[in-house]
Amino acid sequence: MKESLLEILCCPLDKHDLELEDAQYDGDEVVSGDLVCSECGETYPIEDGIPNLLPPDMREQTPA
Amino acid sequence: MSTRADVRRTYDRIAEHFASTREYAWPEVEAFVSDARPSSVGLDLGCGNCRHAELLAERTDRVLGIDASRGLLETARSRARARDFEVDLLQGDAARIPLAEGTVDLAVYVATIQHLPTEADRRESLNELARVLAPGGRALVSTWSTAHDTFDETESFDTTVEWTLPGGQTVDRFYHIYSPAAFETALEESALELVEFELSSGNCYATVARSEPARGRQSKKEGT
Repeated sequence: MKESLLEILCCPLDKHDLELEDAQYDGDEVVSGDLVCSECGETYPIEDGIPNLLPPDMREQTPA
Repeated sequence: MSTRADVRRTYDRIAEHFASTREYAWPEVEAFVSDARPSSVGLDLGCGNCRHAELLAERTDRVLGIDASRGLLETARSRARARDFEVDLLQGDAARIPLAEGTVDLAVYVATIQHLPTEADRRESLNELARVLAPGGRALVSTWSTAHDTFDETESFDTTVEWTLPGGQTVDRFYHIYSPAAFETALEESALELVEFELSSGNCYATVARSEPARGRQSKKEGT
């Protein structure tokens, strides 16, 4: 994902801003890292360049 | 009972074959997008292989493709590479859209709401679409309906429709089949403003905007 997406993304649960943590880059693409809600602290992983912003109850409990 | 996680798993399972049968954009979506003014942010909600995001990319500076199925998002990534268009892919739920309020100028939500298993999910997805639309933004919402030749029913109902994989194996997919009247009512009762409604080839197509200034109330402001 492009880092500039952070301006329009939000937590799917409480709609607060997300912060990018532990980012790994390939050029201007963020290929892995975590998006963390600044309010509720829920963590959404970026998996092979695609953020998984599914609410926790819709996520698979298996390693990516 | 189906849950949204079940629906996601189903599409992960059939993703590659499903996408291969969804090569072309629908003419109704082409017409909607070609009538739209150029704008900043486009959204294909329930994007599948992004065949409609590809159209939005011609009208907007940035296009987002959201789908619950990671498998389908991979087909979208392949298509975007092969056909040379830009799309930002996000895995997400149509009933809990991970986008800030008022960020989307032009959206399509095509043949997706029919896969949300409960009335509450479907209602929430329409309200969520209203929330992310920018003032003056437009969206096209479509669903399969009882008006299609496949169905004898005249009232809305839940069903499963089999998907047959190339090996002959079948996978059940959840569908809510709206009657056109019930779909129109669902839109009118949501935070969306219904601009236009039509039936085409057994599908309902609604052009919608965000209600202004507040949910369910009509704006007096004209000419915007």
